[in-house]
Amino acid sequence: MRAEPAHPPAPGAAAGPSWRRWLLRYEVLLLLVLVVEWLLFYHFGTSVNRRGVTVGFGTLDRQFDILRHSCEIGLLALALTPVILTGGIDLSVGSLLGLCAVVFGGLTHALGLPLPVAAALTLVVGAVAGGLNAGLICQLRLPPLIVTLGTYSLFRGLAEAFTRGSVTYSDFPAGFLVLGQGRWGGLPVQAWLFLAVAVSVWIWIHRTVAGRACRVIGFAPEGARFAGIGVRGQLTAAYVAAGVIAALAALIYTSRLGQAKADAGLGYELFAITAVVLGGTSIFGGRGTVTGTLLGVAAIAVLKNGLATLPVVMRLNAAEELAGLLTGALLLAALAAGKLAERLRLSSVTG
Amino acid sequence: MNRWIREWSVVGVLALLLAYLAWRAPAFFQLQPLLSLLAREAPSLVVACGVAMVIIVRQIDISVGSQFSVCSVIAGLLAAAGWPLAAVVPVAVLIGGSLGLVNGLLVAWLGLPSIVVTLATLVALRQCLNLVRQGEFVNLPERIQWLGLSQSQGQWLLVGGAVGLVAVLAWGLRHLAAGRWLYAVGSDAEAARLAGIRPRAVTLGTFVLMGALTGIAAMMNVVQSPQVQPLTGSGLELKAIAAAVVGGVAISGGRGTVWGVLAGLLLLACISPAMVHLHIDAYWEKAIQGLIILAAVMVEGLRRRRNHAR
Amino acid sequence: MTRSFVVSCLLLSLASSLGWSAPDSKLLVALLPKSKGNAYFISCKAGSERAARDLGVELLFEGPVDSNAAKQNEIVENWITLGVDVIAVAAENREGISTALRKARREGIKVVTFDADAMPDARSFFVNQATPQGIGEALMDEAARLCGGEGEFAIICATLTAGNQREWQREIERRRQERHPGMKLVAVRPCDDLKDRAQSEATALMSAHPKLRLIMAICSPAVPGAAEAVKQAGKKGAVRVIGLGLPNENRRYVKEGVTDTVILWKTEDLGYLTVQAAVALAKGELKAGASTFKAGSLGEFRIEGDNILLGKPFLFNRDNIDQFDF
Repeated sequence: MRAEPAHPPAPGAAAGPSWRRWLLRYEVLLLLVLVVEWLLFYHFGTSVNRRGVTVGFGTLDRQFDILRHSCEIGLLALALTPVILTGGIDLSVGSLLGLCAVVFGGLTHALGLPLPVAAALTLVVGAVAGGLNAGLICQLRLPPLIVTLGTYSLFRGLAEAFTRGSVTYSDFPAGFLVLGQGRWGGLPVQAWLFLAVAVSVWIWIHRTVAGRACRVIGFAPEGARFAGIGVRGQLTAAYVAAGVIAALAALIYTSRLGQAKADAGLGYELFAITAVVLGGTSIFGGRGTVTGTLLGVAAIAVLKNGLATLPVVMRLNAAEELAGLLTGALLLAALAAGKLAERLRLSSVTG
Repeated sequence: MNRWIREWSVVGVLALLLAYLAWRAPAFFQLQPLLSLLAREAPSLVVACGVAMVIIVRQIDISVGSQFSVCSVIAGLLAAAGWPLAAVVPVAVLIGGSLGLVNGLLVAWLGLPSIVVTLATLVALRQCLNLVRQGEFVNLPERIQWLGLSQSQGQWLLVGGAVGLVAVLAWGLRHLAAGRWLYAVGSDAEAARLAGIRPRAVTLGTFVLMGALTGIAAMMNVVQSPQVQPLTGSGLELKAIAAAVVGGVAISGGRGTVWGVLAGLLLLACISPAMVHLHIDAYWEKAIQGLIILAAVMVEGLRRRRNHAR
Repeated sequence: MTRSFVVSCLLLSLASSLGWSAPDSKLLVALLPKSKGNAYFISCKAGSERAARDLGVELLFEGPVDSNAAKQNEIVENWITLGVDVIAVAAENREGISTALRKARREGIKVVTFDADAMPDARSFFVNQATPQGIGEALMDEAARLCGGEGEFAIICATLTAGNQREWQREIERRRQERHPGMKLVAVRPCDDLKDRAQSEATALMSAHPKLRLIMAICSPAVPGAAEAVKQAGKKGAVRVIGLGLPNENRRYVKEGVTDTVILWKTEDLGYLTVQAAVALAKGELKAGASTFKAGSLGEFRIEGDNILLGKPFLFNRDNIDQFDF
């Protein structure tokens, strides 16, 4: 943690390294939640079926499924972390995933472009879309929430208009499907991509000046400007990166399902934001870590998938509803606990 | 003019849209369909005003859609069980208010970020409803529809009621001390506290009011049809927030008017019927809606940029 | 950090020593609807539960809350790792779900589809309640009959992207071109499965198209929504409403004469037949090439190729709607 960037203390908080202790505590808390979840599901969600095969949560297949199912939302959460750190938000990532999926489908099917070219162009589309958000936010200085609310509708609308709502692209070559369905080096292929993105974002946020700038902007945009940070450049980078990562998620999504359709990624932005804030990133910006986001994604993914393996939940046929309920509860409990810990610590410092 | 540039730009875009409709599709302006449209949008207007107030105190409530559904379904079940309307309405308002109270307590007293709290209640309430109702409709007794009045009386009453409510809120926000507190807390909670305002109490009160308004809105919707679908109101939060921010309520708090919200909501509400009247294929709708939202807010940005450059 | 890691490792080994096993001799049948909140599938569920009781098998009924193709794949994959014996799916997206179903078949799980088919190589049988063609023809013929063969009509669908909705629209259009060229489709509007939105859409449609003769609602919440709009516009009889829906949601409008016809196969029977077929397949009693299938209390059904036919869609109207309660 040597090069951890200097972090402005929260208003009213005691100076000193307390924020670091808080972060550490919060992440440990989240890790504990994750471990408890995992153990509970391992214990109650694993069984031997009548063919004598061990099934349920405790199997390797199951763990890989969790990885594969949470990969796209995880990527979007990683994309959102820098954006939210700058005090912004990007509601358009889910829609952009849909747009990129059909663009990719159109490029490969309608235009017959080779896969690598189509994939590269899709990433470019993601970058351009992110650039559009960035342009409106930085050049016209409009609030990110409104801009991305507009592009949330716009990108999904373009995806629908592009396919006239009905065209579904499928029949992708096996070589492409490997990306979302195959394994490489023992792990699902997309896990490697996810890992690469996670490491890159981590380095960006925690090991570079640019990442530090993002936090400063989140804490005090005016202050950042006075401190000589190129606010526009940093913001543009964050939104463009979010666009590119959303496009990558679109490729993985398309490959995992073997189809590209205008409704891809519908509602994913909400899950991604949930994961980011569960990971301890302040929605007001300035505070947060990539590790936290990863833990947040994992906590939600394990909860969602694990519940589906519990015999009692399966008998109720209510895995999705319960997962929603518990995610909500978990979110509140985690944040309340974090808040409580902060208060306790403050009182111990001041009193 | 200068101060209300955002509101005026929305009104301008709305006027342009209406003018274009008057030219290309005058059938849009028939009284009965227009009255129906307005009556259908009256609940959304009430919710949007509530959301606007929450945003003015620098919070947000994205659970309104789920609150709306819960109020609608419970009110529907009570009405179906034979409760008189005079008892159902207060209960709906009470339920809305207590859901708002839960959000408010978590936000104001525990100090949790409102977007997170209401994200959690959005999901939790919706899933509870799914679990309990499994999507089944509630069939209402005849006397509930239009509050026992004739249809056009009922529709005028709803539209009038919504406009009246908006007028009261607008007046209250501008002229009542409690109304000014919202702006004070939204602009700078610490300064407000030093000025003798209790920011927590104001925030809590706003959430409760928001919930109560949602309860009223749910009733305004329930009385318009003889059945309640548990899914009703899903996606309402997005519409309400969009109406508020397009209508000039600053997401950073402390700024915005109810009249702006009215203009924002009318603009958003007109887009879909306008598509139908202009014979534009439905798959263009979301893209056009996005462009209109961006256009309505871009005026302000462009203007500020020009001022900045000057 | 280190300490918590050590503790978690300890707990982990403790938990693994407490391995959980619950061998279960009953056949495990898993039914995946397009959306479990939909009244149509709720009534399917009632039928499938009856069949499960009759046959003494265990039934799982799980699906997305909203129609969601990706979610369906996840559920199937959950079931694969769970090791169910047979899966019955109403496919939201034909190609999308087939990937997961093929995987299930490779693992030795039997697969049938119902309501909406997957790719033929991804399942053994399709329990065909009424082909998209059958539905399209029934809807279009009924519309033409009510309008006397000519006039404007509009469609309200769930979403623009839902697979079955597109398929039905294609069949409706094909039938229109072949048999009813006098009918003119003026608009297709989505309602997001929301009754309230369908009502608003229908109101706008009627005012934008004064010559509109009929609204065809092809998702179940849209039928009562459209009917309420017609009633409120005072256009009962002038604008007809037909659609795909359930008797209970539409009873009052059918009786008032606002909605003319609600078209539906008997959903309970569909659920019953699906589970019967799934179990017979898993037990090896139902094999490819069979020409009939005997499904418990419902009697015999014809098999055409690999489609088990439930029969023609049923038309509910004022005269017969009171015979049904679902």
